[in-house]
Amino acid sequence: MFGIKQLFKPIESLETDDVKKFVENHPEGSYTLLDVRQPGEYEGEHLPGSKLIPLPELIDRKHEIDPEKPVLVY
Amino acid sequence: MLTGAGFENVINVNGGIKAWQGTKAAGPVELNMDIIRGDESSQEILTLGVWFEKGLQKFYRQTSDQTDEPTLKSLLTHLAGIEDRHIKTLFDLLKTVDPSINDRPLFEAGIKPKMMEGGYDIDLFMKENASYLKTPEGVLDLAMMLETQALDLYLRFAEKSTHSQTKEMLYKIADEEKSHLASLGRIREGKSERL
Repeated sequence: MFGIKQLFKPIESLETDDVKKFVENHPEGSYTLLDVRQPGEYEGEHLPGSKLIPLPELIDRKHEIDPEKPVLVY
Repeated sequence: MLTGAGFENVINVNGGIKAWQGTKAAGPVELNMDIIRGDESSQEILTLGVWFEKGLQKFYRQTSDQTDEPTLKSLLTHLAGIEDRHIKTLFDLLKTVDPSINDRPLFEAGIKPKMMEGGYDIDLFMKENASYLKTPEGVLDLAMMLETQALDLYLRFAEKSTHSQTKEMLYKIADEEKSHLASLGRIREGKSERL
């Protein structure tokens, strides 16, 4: 059972330049780039290698993301 | 939503993709995913990688053959030469998973690619992008697009792969693609090795 405080815990934000540095400096497979938009938006453009899980599906599909690795969400 | 569900390290990308200044991939999740089954061995995946790189090298050489413009020809020859180094990297990785494969010319003799990086058909791609292949800037923009799509495809392959060793190999190949992209970016900005 989750506490309300946990559900609304603020998360870290990074500017895109810092995200770019993060991606450049971390080996592939050590983090997840997560795209929570709709499939049509992903198809138009997406960050290379990002995993698509539209936001309404996230709770049911969170098992597809490794919780041990950093998750960068857009 | 994730932080309340056991994810301790969640980072929001401020501004989202609209604020992103780097290269972006395009296409649906399933684009070119029919190229693999998902249960390939590391050896099969590395061999596929060599085919893709040979395909891109062929693309650069064919394009070079179709131009008389010296700067463009020089650039395309240079890019084809860079692909040779990429092929060597993949071949060296292949030798680590199968030491019986140690003759590169023999291995490459049987490779006659119709497809290249990103999973594109070489001849079709040349026809559809002919207008970009008339200037060095156009060629470099196209090259960066191809490497971006290749990076994206390898990571989608890794997601699909059911073998952990193959997954790790795909991550290594993706890291190589990242460095290819960086190198092309430097050439594009005029900051790299002379052509």
